[in-house]
Amino acid sequence: MREPRVRRVLSPVLCMIAAAGCGDGSDGANAGNNRIAPPDGVNVVAIVVDSGPLGSNGAPVGYVNGAFVTVTVCVPGTADCQAIDHVLVDTGSSGLRLLANDGKAGGELSLRLPALEDVGRNAIAECYPFLDGFTWGQVQLADVRIGGETAGGIAIQVIGEAAYPVPDQCLGFGNDEDTLEGTSGLLANGILGVGTFVQDCGPACATAGSGNPGVYFACSSSALGGCVETAVAAGAQVSNPVARFATDDNGVIVELPPVPAGGAPTASGSLVFGIGTRSNNGLGGAVVIPVDDKGTLTTAFPAQGTRYPQSFIDSGSNGIYFLSGAATGIPTCTGTGGIERFYCPPSPIVLSAANQGAGGTPTSPVSFSIANANALFASNNVAFSNLGGENAGIPSLHLAAAFDWGLAFFFGRNVFTAIEGAATPGGTGPYFAY
Amino acid sequence: MFAMNPMTTLSAIRKPGWRTWLPALFLMTVMSAGPALAALGGDVSSVQKDRARFKASLQLSTAAHHAVHELKAPTGTTIREYVTEDGRVFGVTWQGPWRPDLRQLLGTYFADFQQAAKAKRTGRNGPLTSRTARLVIEVSGHPRAFQGRAYVPELVPADVPEDEIQ
Repeated sequence: MREPRVRRVLSPVLCMIAAAGCGDGSDGANAGNNRIAPPDGVNVVAIVVDSGPLGSNGAPVGYVNGAFVTVTVCVPGTADCQAIDHVLVDTGSSGLRLLANDGKAGGELSLRLPALEDVGRNAIAECYPFLDGFTWGQVQLADVRIGGETAGGIAIQVIGEAAYPVPDQCLGFGNDEDTLEGTSGLLANGILGVGTFVQDCGPACATAGSGNPGVYFACSSSALGGCVETAVAAGAQVSNPVARFATDDNGVIVELPPVPAGGAPTASGSLVFGIGTRSNNGLGGAVVIPVDDKGTLTTAFPAQGTRYPQSFIDSGSNGIYFLSGAATGIPTCTGTGGIERFYCPPSPIVLSAANQGAGGTPTSPVSFSIANANALFASNNVAFSNLGGENAGIPSLHLAAAFDWGLAFFFGRNVFTAIEGAATPGGTGPYFAY
Repeated sequence: MFAMNPMTTLSAIRKPGWRTWLPALFLMTVMSAGPALAALGGDVSSVQKDRARFKASLQLSTAAHHAVHELKAPTGTTIREYVTEDGRVFGVTWQGPWRPDLRQLLGTYFADFQQAAKAKRTGRNGPLTSRTARLVIEVSGHPRAFQGRAYVPELVPADVPEDEIQ
């Protein structure tokens, strides 16, 4: 067994922080000797992995593998503020989005923030596409405080329809993810996008015309049809708050402890701002893996095998999603309601892959474990390093075959996300490192 | 028939089907008066809606028993539509920084997509992989790097391997 060795490398200090992850081993794949910065530094905020925010019945919504932080938003330049708990840390997107407390959305944000407006005094709203749905709501301005850092007067998205109904064009992106609960619910009070991009859209949304993906809208009335697609200058778009901090603005580190092979009921870690800007955020021995202008890297699986160039590291995905049962030979779970797309090996298996920079170098091996998802879900635990499932794709494709390294990958590893164009001791972003 | 078997075997996946038709494939650039496209399940000659909606350029490839219409939208997203000999769109794929309007692209199957997204296990935050007898849809990626494909199993020509829909 590998577990005793893992136990020995855990320091007592780490165990105090990593409450649920100590003393009972890890899954044997992640090294589990990562150091976690105490969440008392100016550039550190505590991460909790738990069952998520409380739902309408007073119980947690039941999130699995969600990394949450508390974010405080303030009316710009004032002390009129509100702290929002259980905001999902997402290295796969950029920008802060908070669910409104408007009677429908079920979120926490009730603070009235000033609207972002265009020159014609039309309110700017946004239809932001995620994997199979979208978030709709007004773009508003806030001072965003996370830990001891502040992004002053930045644009955030307030998810909700109180002011403006979802435009017809937006519906083409899929389901409206506008509530805390329900089948299209976020299960979080918001999303803190701390990915590799500075803005959520970038140059494409800054120019009018056919190249504009139709993400931003100018709203002149609350009637249906009152919002029309518009261009918003990059600097005014919903942006990664970290890129707008006064210091420690070149990226983040997600630091989570190892968890036992059977998971943990909770896990505590840190979201650290800045890379190589202070004594607590150096790269150390982490390997820098540059990503392309889409934020993707190449995963080879097995380590010397097929290369999947559309892969990504995404704390907002909860499992490690790759290929299919047919392609990997790993049994999928029996059942319905979505469980059948998770992997269910009879006992945990350890696999090896290698992540490569978008340019082909460097290559960094990854050992990861996949356990029986039915067994994991049947426990009362919600932090799993070995939760995995199918992703789109089959081996011979170059399209729709990718590794999605979700939060399961992060346990026991400190994962760095460097923002595009930002200088760091490991080179200029964008990159991931671990 | 492969399409009725949701658990395609490894050997079937590695069947080099696409390589056998690739040499026979020819390309031509289609001018604006060229063949029209329809949504998934629709008739190829019915409308130019997709192309108009996505303001895309169009390239047509034909194989033995189907054609591939490739649209390149100015948003940077590439869409491929797979069309049978008798003019039915049996599969679509997309890849690029922004997801296309799937209501347009999937047509009557858009509701299936919506249902599949809702039917993901609660708390699953990850790619969508849904396979029913009516529609197979797989969606992956993250904002600014999306990809996906959808096909109607019963419309897929018998000699077209699943992995050709790429």
